Amino acid sequence: MTQKINYEEAFNELQQIVEEIENGEISVDTLSQKVKRAAELIRFCKNKLVTTEEDVNKILKELENETITDNTDDK
Amino acid sequence: MPENSDNKLVFSLSEVAQSIQKTISNRYTSVYWIKAEMNKLNYYQHSGHCYPELIEKKEGKIIAQFKSTLWKDDYENINNRFLQILKEPLKDGIKILFSARITFDAVYGLSLRIIDIDPAYTLGDLEKEKQETIKRLKSEMLFDKNKHLKMAILPQRIAVISVETSKGYADFVNVLGKNAWGYKFFHILFPSLLQGEKAIESIIAQLDRIRKVADHFDAVAIIRGGGGDVGLSCYNSYELARTVAQFPLPVLTGIGHATNETVAEMIAFYNAITPTKLAEFFIQKFHNISVPLSNAIQIISLKSNYFIREQKKTYLNMSKYFSSVAVNLIISNKTSLKQNLKSINQFTGIILKQQQKNLMQYAFKMNLATKNNLITQKNLSGFILKRLFKAEAYNRQIHLAKLLSIEKQVAALNPVNVIRRGYSITYVNNKLLKKHTSVNKDDILKTILFDGVVTSKVLSTHKNKQDDTKN
Repeated sequence: MTQKINYEEAFNELQQIVEEIENGEISVDTLSQKVKRAAELIRFCKNKLVTTEEDVNKILKELENETITDNTDDK
Repeated sequence: MPENSDNKLVFSLSEVAQSIQKTISNRYTSVYWIKAEMNKLNYYQHSGHCYPELIEKKEGKIIAQFKSTLWKDDYENINNRFLQILKEPLKDGIKILFSARITFDAVYGLSLRIIDIDPAYTLGDLEKEKQETIKRLKSEMLFDKNKHLKMAILPQRIAVISVETSKGYADFVNVLGKNAWGYKFFHILFPSLLQGEKAIESIIAQLDRIRKVADHFDAVAIIRGGGGDVGLSCYNSYELARTVAQFPLPVLTGIGHATNETVAEMIAFYNAITPTKLAEFFIQKFHNISVPLSNAIQIISLKSNYFIREQKKTYLNMSKYFSSVAVNLIISNKTSLKQNLKSINQFTGIILKQQQKNLMQYAFKMNLATKNNLITQKNLSGFILKRLFKAEAYNRQIHLAKLLSIEKQVAALNPVNVIRRGYSITYVNNKLLKKHTSVNKDDILKTILFDGVVTSKVLSTHKNKQDDTKN
């Protein structure tokens, strides 16, 4: 799974695959490929639900920097 | 008492004050209902007394200003009624309708002593302010702005504006953190005052901070709870409402109170009645994703298996069908071959027999015909022979007769015989003379007679009157 894909894209892609499979629009040739991709997407999404990547310290640091700049602006 | 000095009546300051006080108390005997804006409450915690600063404005300018006093007991009574009715304490910047005595104090001067304040008037005024905020936001097309934002389908990162020690914040964090499904949320607290006049500025300041790191968040939650239902009119403030409406992230509120919905709550992306409910809303968002995920797993597994089964079935059916069709085809071909063979045998026999029969018939016919023919030929040749003989005899007779006639004719024609009968033959120049034109005068003619020759000379020639050249 590439890092670039975001949750929404992954979820939408998954929904699409499910829909295709549900409607029987998939041929035997692509079925295993699609199922594999769906499994990847599900793993990614499930993982997303239970983990976060945000770093509090990073945000606080950003805020600090902003605040300093603000103060300089005020002066 | 005033003194007389250099013909001047001189009053002491207290005497003037006493006089004014007397005049005023005589003149303003009753209690008056007055409306004014309470610019400052000036509550002194130590004494419990208030010294409200009252003003009246016209077109933004102060046209009247009074000091006033609100004694501790009156203040407490009035404040309690305000809290009950308005859910707001007495505070700076509200319009009040109050009853007061006009007093004058020698030390503190002219003042209004507030006895009572009518909460209904202030309530009406606050409600008016709220309605004005709504109207203005609507006219500026801001009322639905935050609602129309698109929230991330997985709102996982939440900037929380709250008070760390408040029950509302604790509830919110607790529900998010201890959810049974293991959903993980990321949240940072941006501490702020959440009620009272100062909350407006404080919340706006935190929103401004969040705006700077907005990329790290999916939503903002304003959480309050456990602080009672007072001091919430700040959420009707135009400034705060506008900031919320224009915020780049969805702002969700869980302010937790039993009073009417405030403007900030109305314009928020989503308003939950309590912080717990707001946390549940976020969890529901996760469910909305998680359930389709579980469904997806089920659907994919079921459908894929079904699909493969169906394909197998189809394949089996097809191979069965194919084999049965093939076998049938072979059998039917075999049968038809056999039949053909039989037919060929049969027909060959029949045809051969027929041919044999025909041949025999032909042979018989031929035989017969040949015999007949031979007989006919024989007969015919006999007949022809007979006829030939007959014809021959006949012919001979005719010929004989003819010969006889010819003999006779020939005999008749023999010049000797003719000559014998008196005819003669004349030659001229050794040529038989037939026409008189063939001789000229003096030609010598030689005439043969039966018994001799006469030679003569031509005297003349002339043509017969009648043509008798035949003789």
